Amino acid sequence: MEDKLGPPRLAQKLLRAFLREDIAEEVEGDLDEKFHADLKSKSKHKAKLNYWYQTINYLRPFAIKKINRYKVMNNYLFSNYFKISTRNIFKHKMISFINVFSLAVGLAACVAIYLFVSDEQSFDAFHSKKENIYRLDEVQKFTGTNEQKVALSMPGMGPAIKRDFPEVKSYVRFWLHGKQLITKDDTKQLIENVMVADSTLFDVFDFVLIQGDINTCLDRPLTILLTESTALKFFKNSSDALNNTVSWDGRDYQITGILKDIPENSHIQFDALLSMVSYTSGENNVNNSWGGNWMTTYLLLEPTADISAMEEKFPSFLSRYIDDPEINTTYKLFLQSLNEVHLASNDIEHDYINYRKFNGSYLTIFYIIAAFILLIAAVNFMNLTTARASHRWKEIGVRKSVGARNFQLFGQFIFESVMLSAFALVVALLLDALFIPMLNDLIGRKLSILPLFQNGWQLSVVLAGTLSLGILTGIYPSFYMTSFDLSRVLKGGNKGEGKSVLRSTLVVVQFGLAIAMMVSTLIVIQQLSFMKESDIGFDKDQMLLVNMNREANEKFETIKNELQKQSMILGVTASGQRLGNNFHQWGFKVIADTGVLSITPSNVNVDYDYLKVYGIEVKEGRGFSKDNLTDNGYAFVINESFANELRLKETVGTKAGHGWYDNDSLGTIIGVVKDFNFNSLHYKVNTLALVVHPGWGYSELSVKIEKGRTEEGIAAVKKVWDEQVPSYPFDYTFLDAHFEEVYRSDKQMSAVVAIMAGLSILISCIGLFGLAAITIEKKTKEIGVRKVLGATESQITVLLSRNFAMLIAIAFIIVSPITYIALHGWLESFAYRININLLVFVLGGVLALAIGLLTISYHTLRSARANPVKALRYE
Amino acid sequence: MIETRLGEFEEVILLLTGILGEEAYAYKVAEEFELQTGRSVSIGAVHSTLTRLEEKGFLKSEMGKSTAERGGRRKRIYTITAYGKKTLAAARDFKQSLWEQFPGFATSKLSFGM
Repeated sequence: MEDKLGPPRLAQKLLRAFLREDIAEEVEGDLDEKFHADLKSKSKHKAKLNYWYQTINYLRPFAIKKINRYKVMNNYLFSNYFKISTRNIFKHKMISFINVFSLAVGLAACVAIYLFVSDEQSFDAFHSKKENIYRLDEVQKFTGTNEQKVALSMPGMGPAIKRDFPEVKSYVRFWLHGKQLITKDDTKQLIENVMVADSTLFDVFDFVLIQGDINTCLDRPLTILLTESTALKFFKNSSDALNNTVSWDGRDYQITGILKDIPENSHIQFDALLSMVSYTSGENNVNNSWGGNWMTTYLLLEPTADISAMEEKFPSFLSRYIDDPEINTTYKLFLQSLNEVHLASNDIEHDYINYRKFNGSYLTIFYIIAAFILLIAAVNFMNLTTARASHRWKEIGVRKSVGARNFQLFGQFIFESVMLSAFALVVALLLDALFIPMLNDLIGRKLSILPLFQNGWQLSVVLAGTLSLGILTGIYPSFYMTSFDLSRVLKGGNKGEGKSVLRSTLVVVQFGLAIAMMVSTLIVIQQLSFMKESDIGFDKDQMLLVNMNREANEKFETIKNELQKQSMILGVTASGQRLGNNFHQWGFKVIADTGVLSITPSNVNVDYDYLKVYGIEVKEGRGFSKDNLTDNGYAFVINESFANELRLKETVGTKAGHGWYDNDSLGTIIGVVKDFNFNSLHYKVNTLALVVHPGWGYSELSVKIEKGRTEEGIAAVKKVWDEQVPSYPFDYTFLDAHFEEVYRSDKQMSAVVAIMAGLSILISCIGLFGLAAITIEKKTKEIGVRKVLGATESQITVLLSRNFAMLIAIAFIIVSPITYIALHGWLESFAYRININLLVFVLGGVLALAIGLLTISYHTLRSARANPVKALRYE
Repeated sequence: MIETRLGEFEEVILLLTGILGEEAYAYKVAEEFELQTGRSVSIGAVHSTLTRLEEKGFLKSEMGKSTAERGGRRKRIYTITAYGKKTLAAARDFKQSLWEQFPGFATSKLSFGM
């Protein structure tokens, strides 16, 4: 019977269980007094609850019994476990090394992958309103061009959506200006990334403003925000910069704020921000601009906003603002959540504001790979431990006969495997500390294992993971070893060990995974080199690209003439846009027999000899020529895809022009070029029109330099540039370097897959090596007898290898179709791809077999060659 | 800077112990703390602080009387030591001097205000 007025019994018991004896009296007294006081002022229930609360709150170091006095037994037990485990580990050094090393490599790979993935997933997470921020994207479906998703929107859309949709709290637009020359007195600096942004920037995003007023800094025209490192290029410190001015494009801008440098994990990156008001306050208010898409718009929505309901209202929204009956067939607006922008924008084009964009589906692949590697390492552990069980029969037998219960033995073996995995974790972290800097170089990241130790949560996940790995891999071997029948074990006769189906299965799993990863690596490398080597229809090697400003455009002819005098310069031309991305699309019309066709191809403004310098093949008609006056703005060269789309009887000679040309003042299509991949090979070649518009200005000079004289060429171009264009620094890159950048995400994936495939093969082989050692050791007697009876060395080698070869063959057969399907899926993401050659699979299989046999050959050959007398004398 | 070696909570507990005099044991100090500050605190937290203060030499303690409500168990009565008093005074003086240097809150203003 419980005393109705007393404190809760259970709590009292608990308290007595952990409380230090010398303070028990006073504490119990205090708590009793508290309880009785509570009974007077509160309900019985509340008083009891409070007693519990007080009890739990005595779980403090000062009040708790000293642990060692309480757990003498356990400690003794563990120290015994520890002793036996250490002895076992050191007794079988090779096996222990294999166990620890393969687990360590597996864990190290997992930790590295985890760091990589969590780095990718940390993108944009620092914005406090991230859950409610969306990017306004479009699906464009213009006639005569591939349907495409784009990250651009019209300048008018942002303000209009804010007006028309009550669920939109705010919007902010970015307008990319790219690399710009900013000056302050004599200091001229090329600033890599200049953008224009709305004054609402800080309402939506959490970029940190360290100087200036966050509410008003972008409110006035001709104001600019600089990041701290940009400001330091012009001023001694950021306080000097505030309220000072810098010039851009012939005008002075007041610096109204200094931003902390944009974090690496922000998809929006900039070095300077101009106020959007600079463009909305004058005559040409960009807020009224509809039709052209050249801004990126982000919306901050109410938490309650219904995304699909909003998207349903977009068609009527578009019809309200754009007077075009076709508008809703050519445009579809959609909202993309901020947390998808970095990892799920792979199918989105014209996505210029997306730093380090990454294909998020690769992260899943990485997780799978991590799991595979860990599995392979765990298999090693299980295989080696069970295979070695026979060495411990005596120990188990003695323990059992002295009275050890199964669960006690079980506990010991689990303890052993947990100890090994803890040891492996330490080695893994050391390996990571050593190799992650190298990995960073390879994949262009700034990963570090240090944050792992600063974040208690992550560290406990790692520790818990290792612990459970130790327990999980320990369970089967422990169960296996404790299940021996005592009498049989001690008799020492037939120990009841037949062929281990499970062990063979595990080897099959292991080698299956290793073969799959090896074949995948081969295919991925093939596809990437295909992209690198394939004929993309123009010459991208040795092509120097130089950023041009207005002065460079004005003096373009002079620069070109000067450069062409140099012997190592093979060609000079210029263009409005760089190859490697989609070109801007705008309207184009053609007078066909059936009437006027309106089409929206990609367009690029080029210099007269662009086709010649880039080696683009003209299939029909002719290229541009300076001698024809109409070639300036009134002659068009289109690509084959475009010609096929038009399906005209005579393409060359047809009247055509930009969408805004009058029907009676059109130009002519003068030529058709072979399709070339101006966009990345992920995309099909789009329809394209090339035109010469020197008056529009070119953005880049292309200089083709003779192979082997690159340095000389750069120096020559620099010299001419410095003479001719004092207003703008010589700023260059190479086209093939730019293409490397385009395929970066694919390359990084292939690097990671290759490393992981290598590791999985390594771990599998280490395991096989250990397993071979054990199984062959068991067959020592058999080999001795066979040799005495006249078996040759090669016969014995074959005999010993046959089993392993068989397992690898089975693995190959099971895993090949699965791998084929997976790789086929990956290749689908490329518009231009290789066919999977089945020989690659055969190669992968043979390679695995060869590596496997080579690994065990150390043991097979040694025992085959051994003197049979020794073998028979053993025991 | 003067090192007071007293945290805010410790200082309050020490003061309360002084205020309670003969009645200063963990439960009473906790009650008094809740009463004076309006913040709730567990007896365990107070007890741990009292123990710590005793280790630092600011308090000393001995077992006192028992009552029926306590089920006949004795209480541990804490008394403040001379060293404890000195440290408290030092902490107060230090803060006082800081307040006097604080331009917006000079003591003259405080005494003449209202």
